[in-house]
Amino acid sequence: MLGPNGAGKTSTLEMLEGMNDIDGGSATINGLNVSQNSYEVKKIIGVQLQANEYFDRLNLIELLILFGKLYSQEIDPITLLEGVNLAEKANAKPEELSGGQKQRFSIACALVNNPKVLFLDEPTTGLDPQAKRNLWQLIRDLNSDGMTIVLTTHNMEEAEYLCDRIAIMDQGKIVAEDTPQNLILKYAPEPPQAALHGNIEDVFLALTGHELRD
Amino acid sequence: MFTSAQLHLAKVFLKIFLRNRQSIFFSMLFPLIFTGVFFFSGGPSDPIKLGLVNMSQSSIASQFSDLVIAEPSFNVTKGSLIELREELIIGDQTAIILIPEDFTFIEGSSQLSLILDASQVRQASSIQETLENSLLAIERDVRGIKPMFNLVVEDVQARPQRYIDFLLPGILAYMLMNLCIAGSGFNIVEYRRRGILKRLFVTPIQPKDFIVAIILSRMVIVLTQISVMLGLAIMLLDINVVGGLPSLYGMVILGTFIFLCIGFFLGSLAKTQEAIQPIVALTSFPQLILSGVFFPISSMHEFIQPIAHVLPLSVVVSGLRGITNDGMALLTLNSTTVGVGIWMGISFFVAIKYFVWKEVAN
Repeated sequence: MLGPNGAGKTSTLEMLEGMNDIDGGSATINGLNVSQNSYEVKKIIGVQLQANEYFDRLNLIELLILFGKLYSQEIDPITLLEGVNLAEKANAKPEELSGGQKQRFSIACALVNNPKVLFLDEPTTGLDPQAKRNLWQLIRDLNSDGMTIVLTTHNMEEAEYLCDRIAIMDQGKIVAEDTPQNLILKYAPEPPQAALHGNIEDVFLALTGHELRD
Repeated sequence: MFTSAQLHLAKVFLKIFLRNRQSIFFSMLFPLIFTGVFFFSGGPSDPIKLGLVNMSQSSIASQFSDLVIAEPSFNVTKGSLIELREELIIGDQTAIILIPEDFTFIEGSSQLSLILDASQVRQASSIQETLENSLLAIERDVRGIKPMFNLVVEDVQARPQRYIDFLLPGILAYMLMNLCIAGSGFNIVEYRRRGILKRLFVTPIQPKDFIVAIILSRMVIVLTQISVMLGLAIMLLDINVVGGLPSLYGMVILGTFIFLCIGFFLGSLAKTQEAIQPIVALTSFPQLILSGVFFPISSMHEFIQPIAHVLPLSVVVSGLRGITNDGMALLTLNSTTVGVGIWMGISFFVAIKYFVWKEVAN
């Protein structure tokens, strides 16, 4: 879901996650109506929120075990941390992580229930290019393993790089929805004509002649 | 009875608490100081400093003077009016008794003067009472009569009861209320502000699970605090729990449940940390006054009594007092236990019904 700030991306996501009431239309995830089965839906989705804060004084392993318990599941925290390249930080507290590590950890938390659909809300906002690329790779890997990923962003490059389908939102409405390729074909302006050979000097010379003016 | 998610969450909350050394230190210091205050304030008070000016030569005057000096609640200094008045002004004396020159035993003619500093007026009544008793004793002695009546204060249930016995259950309940509301109300606002509750809300747990987990973990903490306080009270203040400790602990658990749930409700009512403080103050202070913590509800204005009796703190105070002082058993069916049951239902219902996971716009 691509859109400028305030377009309604997060609100839409929160409706899909069962966090906000759906005030118009309906949403279905894996055949379940979200409004009617929000509890069941929560069992099969994983969610990474824009702001990720955790209980104080717990390390990454303890937090992952806690999240697992909330889904009534026994999990292997180290395997999950390895999956997001954070195994060496297993005993660290979230506040000791860098921005990129925090985002990767929040994805690990969202994966504890091995969700069918993973929701990521602006996962790379505020990350440096290395951390961003690293996270993109993680998202691609999860997707290629068969997980459906719904992510919001206002970064065009990210949308183009990661997504199979893009919904462009503005003022609470989806204004276009298709594969990145089709969207480009449909909406991108004609490519500008190739720049003419030469520069302003050529123009100057053409207008004023080549003769020497001694 | 409890789900594994509830138990695990409770364990996590307890772990978070136990890793916060500062909070452990202060939560254990609190009951220590609390009991200490009672222990040290409950002892005999210092004698009142009294200046005595005896201007009379009569034997009655010296007899009276001796009685006043012998009175253990007075620390008497004899001297002239001028120097004692100076001492009174600078605060070295609390009051001066002036025995006039004509202090003799002629009926109705002798008059004593008590000179006081207005700021010490609080002690005037006890000075006056002791003086009157001394005068009465002298009068009886002079007249050669024995006291006709003797007032013996006897408790209807034939057990000695001091004010501290009355006060302690009330203070215990009040402390319970404060610990619980702080433990749930303040925490929940903070967790919500930081988005932690929102993160939990996207997992399949329900308000009930979260509330039960916090109740379980706080219960352990509160019971430890109460045990420290109660242990000290039993050792230092010679408190006797007539109804037995199991009933007392049972009532403490029920009270903890009620106040934690009220804390959750207040935490959901308050949208910010700034708002939770006045909301909690507004809930706890009127109850401190109206719930019979310091004096019985029956001594209040009749108009307010029906309201005072049904407050949550009142039912817990009355339950704890019934157990510690009157030997009530926890499982007795009476207005107090019914009141506790009703408040448990109401508080749990409102805590769950109005639970707010997300930060809401103001």
